[in-house]
Amino acid sequence: MDHLGEDAELYPLGILDDDEARNVERHVALCSECADRVAQAQSVAGSLAAALTLATPSPALERRLRESARPQLGAAKARAGIFRFALAAAIALAFLGLGWQALVLHEQLKAEDVALVTMVHSHFNHVSMAPESANPVAAKILYARDGSWVYIIADKPGGSLHAIAETATGTVDLGVLTSTGETASLLVHPRKRIRSMVLQRAGTNVASAKLAY
Amino acid sequence: MDELVEAFAARRPSGLEQVYALWSRLFFSVARHAISDSARAEDCVHDALVRVWRSPNRFAGNREMLKAYLVTCVRNESLAMLRSEGRRDARELKAARLAPVTLVDPPAVDPVETQRLQAALGRLPEEQRKALTLAYYGNKTHIEIAQELNAPLGTIKSRISMAMRKLQTDLASAAGSRS
Repeated sequence: MDHLGEDAELYPLGILDDDEARNVERHVALCSECADRVAQAQSVAGSLAAALTLATPSPALERRLRESARPQLGAAKARAGIFRFALAAAIALAFLGLGWQALVLHEQLKAEDVALVTMVHSHFNHVSMAPESANPVAAKILYARDGSWVYIIADKPGGSLHAIAETATGTVDLGVLTSTGETASLLVHPRKRIRSMVLQRAGTNVASAKLAY
Repeated sequence: MDELVEAFAARRPSGLEQVYALWSRLFFSVARHAISDSARAEDCVHDALVRVWRSPNRFAGNREMLKAYLVTCVRNESLAMLRSEGRRDARELKAARLAPVTLVDPPAVDPVETQRLQAALGRLPEEQRKALTLAYYGNKTHIEIAQELNAPLGTIKSRISMAMRKLQTDLASAAGSRS
């Protein structure tokens, strides 16, 4: 395996293009020698930051971080209780127009629960996906205002739905929505803020949406 | 393992809170250097920290390494926003152009470290110092630097790489002689 070369020093400066940066990230995951070299370069880059003009963030940033750091998923689920679950479920149902039964019978109730608890702990927006093709699907996207999670919900998917997202740095394959036949959903925590999304069925776009933050 | 690093790696909220309490101004200063709008710069800090905190398995090291790693993450997040959203408006371009010559503008994030850094930068060959300062303080890509300095891309990458390695040796030696 070839080592990284000069890109090891360039990576922490943020000056490589996306492909080069991804190559560095893949390589250091497998090569401890280059990982050490990148870590040393990160230390130098950290020293360069010392000379930047000092700026102080607003108190709002600390509040946002504390909110984002609140226990979620399993820990939150344990203490969430029926009221919190019912509140989140009501929110989701109001958006989708689904009945209680569809939710209760959902085979992926646990995954839904995780998604709902995530919503309870977040500020989020939502957008209806625009239908595409002759056989579109009705779907909505609920997404955190800070872009940290995206929840896609489709009614009567009519087959396997694949979510493809566009971020600032390229296209990301989010995977296939989990389906019960009646509904399909997918909760993701993207690395980059998602700008737009399409749902594909058998390789054909069936819905699309742009996300505004 | 350092208590702070352990708390951060274990995804404990206290880990994120301590990291923020210690280095919030550093992180925000790094973001603001790339993004002129404070609200968007705060978004970059928030998104980078939360993403790393939620992916703790990617980090193992001491406190200083964690700090350097997070600074890199915040910087990359900020530069990605700057470059990808066509945000190089007039103010940001002006800031980017001015950045290399405003290195000594007070107040700096760390005035003591700044003095050491300036001395080390001063010992670099001119062409290496120029390429490195355009990269870090000018927020430019290696391609933009090659165009600006009218030099081949490979040459620019070599100059920056050598500058980084020399700085590392120089700063480590200075730290060693102080201790």
